[in-house]
Amino acid sequence: MSRFVNERVFVLLILLLVAAALYASTFTQSFSDVGNAHSPVFFPRIILVLWIGLSLIALIQTLISAPANTPIVGLLRLAILIAAAVAYTMFLNQYGFFLTSAAFAVVCLVVFGVRNPIIIVVYAVVVPGALVALFNHILKMPLPTSPFTFYF
Amino acid sequence: MLSSLPDAFAILFTVEGIATLILGTTLGIVLGAMPGIGSTVAVAIVLPFTLSMSQAPAILLLLAVYAGSVYGGSISAILINTPGTPQSAATCLDGYPMAQRGEAGLALGWATQASIVGGLVSAVVLIIAAPQLAAFALQFGPIETFALILLGMTCIVSVSTGSVVKGLLSGMIGIFLSLVGGDPIIGEFRFTFDNWQLYSGFNLLAVVIGVFALSEVFMRASAKITSVSELVSFRGIVFPKLAEWRGRRRNLAKSVLIGNVIGVLPGTGAATAAFISYAEGRRSSPHREDYGKGEPDGIVSSEAANNAVTGGALVPTMALGIPGDAITAVMLATLTLHGITPGPKLVEDNPVLIGAIFAGFFIINLLLLPLGTLLSRVAAPLLRVREAYMMTAIVLLCALGIYFVRGNPFDLLVMGLAGVGGFILRRQGFPMAPLVIGMVLGPTLELTLRQGLILTDGNFFAFFESPIALVLTIVAIAALSLPLVRAALRRKPA
Repeated sequence: MSRFVNERVFVLLILLLVAAALYASTFTQSFSDVGNAHSPVFFPRIILVLWIGLSLIALIQTLISAPANTPIVGLLRLAILIAAAVAYTMFLNQYGFFLTSAAFAVVCLVVFGVRNPIIIVVYAVVVPGALVALFNHILKMPLPTSPFTFYF
Repeated sequence: MLSSLPDAFAILFTVEGIATLILGTTLGIVLGAMPGIGSTVAVAIVLPFTLSMSQAPAILLLLAVYAGSVYGGSISAILINTPGTPQSAATCLDGYPMAQRGEAGLALGWATQASIVGGLVSAVVLIIAAPQLAAFALQFGPIETFALILLGMTCIVSVSTGSVVKGLLSGMIGIFLSLVGGDPIIGEFRFTFDNWQLYSGFNLLAVVIGVFALSEVFMRASAKITSVSELVSFRGIVFPKLAEWRGRRRNLAKSVLIGNVIGVLPGTGAATAAFISYAEGRRSSPHREDYGKGEPDGIVSSEAANNAVTGGALVPTMALGIPGDAITAVMLATLTLHGITPGPKLVEDNPVLIGAIFAGFFIINLLLLPLGTLLSRVAAPLLRVREAYMMTAIVLLCALGIYFVRGNPFDLLVMGLAGVGGFILRRQGFPMAPLVIGMVLGPTLELTLRQGLILTDGNFFAFFESPIALVLTIVAIAALSLPLVRAALRRKPA
């Protein structure tokens, strides 16, 4: 990675662009015609200007000093885990806590290096199952269930 | 508040109250001992269980987990040379060498006694200081409150680990996230882009759990998978005799004082207190040449200070509604979930609840002695649990916790995305505590600034006419400038 094209520069540029886009959006959103401190975008604009300024300073500091970033050892492992975690949070409500948690547990255990299929299956069934039993039946705080059965 | 103590004890000394204190302290010690979980994640994991509880037991459970986890961190620091919490990092320096000499039990004995003294004194400080501070803060109008929040923000950012600029930027992102949704003055929606799910804004706890707990799981997955650490020989805690404390009491008193003072300052946290206290102990101890080689004074310095922070950090949280660190920010959010608004009026409006919380906090620190003795033997084998099992369980418990906060599927997605965002920012050296504290303080900062400007017809200079606001603003500017001046001086060639 070069001094000007690296992960740190990329992230700071994204932060800068996001802040600039949000700031620009404050002029396109329609609000009641109230001025200054009454305006809903009065305070957000101050914060966004500070965000832009600080992003610029951080970007310049990074370009000058170019500190090295620690490399990610297991990039594929990480990508799989992030995808699984986001999918888990998206589908938990739709397919129920037990099914999605069991599926996520399988992926997570494999990503963290567990290879014994019996341990993986037992963990994936027992841990989410115990949580469903605890919350649904003992604490009476129902977790989302799947469209297939009322029990989990 | 004293007149409400009988009612407070009536809440505390029930089966539910006592069971909550014991369960919370137990969970705190065990979770704090597990490397990588830490106090913030421990509190976040326990959070969903509090939602089915009434106010006082729910808050006491979180306090017990908080205090227990700070102590629990010393167990792994001494037995496997890996601090369970960042606060216990300094304990490794002398705790592990003692354990290697075959004195693991004695090292834990020193740590337990120092932790209890630190925690108990901090509970007394909390009981005395919080009502006084709250009573003083009752005089504050919007202008003074704005200056106070500003001071809280700058202190938090100026003591951020790593880059000050990144700390400030992190705080701005946090404040901005808190602004999405309804405007507090005229009620119009901002930055929702016609997405109805954003109308109520981002759920604070979903963001907190995402950026702390979920991003930690991603950080672990991105690093090399480590093998399970070897345990040293350990057959239970051995307490030092009273005579062995001779010559060490001064160090203990100084460490407790450092912990309390640092705890009250917003943003400094227990890890800073432990290292400052350790450095001061090494400078002034008669055993200074043995520091780092298994010197009990080193353990006392670190553990007394980090436990003394717990009560101190709760002073601004309870009295002013300003969180001392990320853990107290999570607790602040939980208080709000239970219908309690922390701030100057909290003590006045809820004397019984506050009495129960303060007395409960004192008892929690007393419980560290029997539970620490018992649980250190139980927790020791748990330190060898594989990372995979712990990380998977953390994600499941976090998802469960967020689901129970509002039952809103969108919050789960926010948690997932906050986890990814938190991981990306943490990799670039952004501290996460300012983001969370920005999100907590952002709404009040906006409301008080705008109220102040409306009251003064837009005259910003009126903010400097109030003596309290002026002093607070000067201190805020000084707190912000100090790290910048220090950095500039460091860069200056000798």
